[in-house]
Amino acid sequence: MPDNKNYDENLDLVLTRTVDVPREIVWKLWTEPEHMKKWFAPKPWTTVDIKIDLRPGGSVSSVMRSPEGKDYPNVGCILEVVRNEKLVWTDALIAGYRPAPNPFFTAIITLEDDKGGTKYTAHAMHKDPVDRKKHEDMGFMNGWSQCLDQLVETAKQLKK
Amino acid sequence: MPNQTLDHVFRALSDPTRRAVLERLSRGPISVTKLSEPFKMALPSFVQHLQVLEQSGLVRSTKKGRVRTCQLASKSLKNAEHWMASQRAIWEKRLDQFDDYARKFHKKEKTHAR
Repeated sequence: MPDNKNYDENLDLVLTRTVDVPREIVWKLWTEPEHMKKWFAPKPWTTVDIKIDLRPGGSVSSVMRSPEGKDYPNVGCILEVVRNEKLVWTDALIAGYRPAPNPFFTAIITLEDDKGGTKYTAHAMHKDPVDRKKHEDMGFMNGWSQCLDQLVETAKQLKK
Repeated sequence: MPNQTLDHVFRALSDPTRRAVLERLSRGPISVTKLSEPFKMALPSFVQHLQVLEQSGLVRSTKKGRVRTCQLASKSLKNAEHWMASQRAIWEKRLDQFDDYARKFHKKEKTHAR
């Protein structure tokens, strides 16, 4: 699980899965381009190219193709590599830790043994998707947006 | 959840005028002048109600020239929620595909090893 101090519920996603496949294979399929191409883009999108220089500071580049045939390149930088245990990369940097123009996410993949299989966790941390003004509004409303909707709904009922 | 903020929300909702304002705003943005028309009270009193709503974060307003327009603040939240939901959907799908691919790959390797 991610360090709670480093978890922002408004910007982060944490997904944990257990798959009945040994850890070495999970690692291999997460880090070798020929395999990543097969699963990384959510269908009907496809990964048409992916290159990984698997070392801290190494480049990660991918091109995903939309169902309409438009290509979306993404470049990033590997931050941490612990074989069969942990992989961290970001698109906030490009190769050699050089700052990237449009940072968007950092992803941390951790692998653990689990009853002959592998439990893996993907922690995706995102930059705020909206502009600064909206960000401020959101900051004010941290974590209770659903509650807000319910309150507005309740308010309408009260009025009746 | 910040309790202080929640207190502001409950305070905002505790008044019938403010609830009526929220209901009007749920239909879309409107100028303060137009918003105040159905309410039989002096404008300064009405503006006070709006201030309470703004403090609560339920409403925000923007001024363009001499016209101040109010709107529900939940729209930007909905956008943000929608965005997070779509990010989650992407990752869920990606990991579904990974699990599927990994299982098939592993099965194939075991078969070859025999």
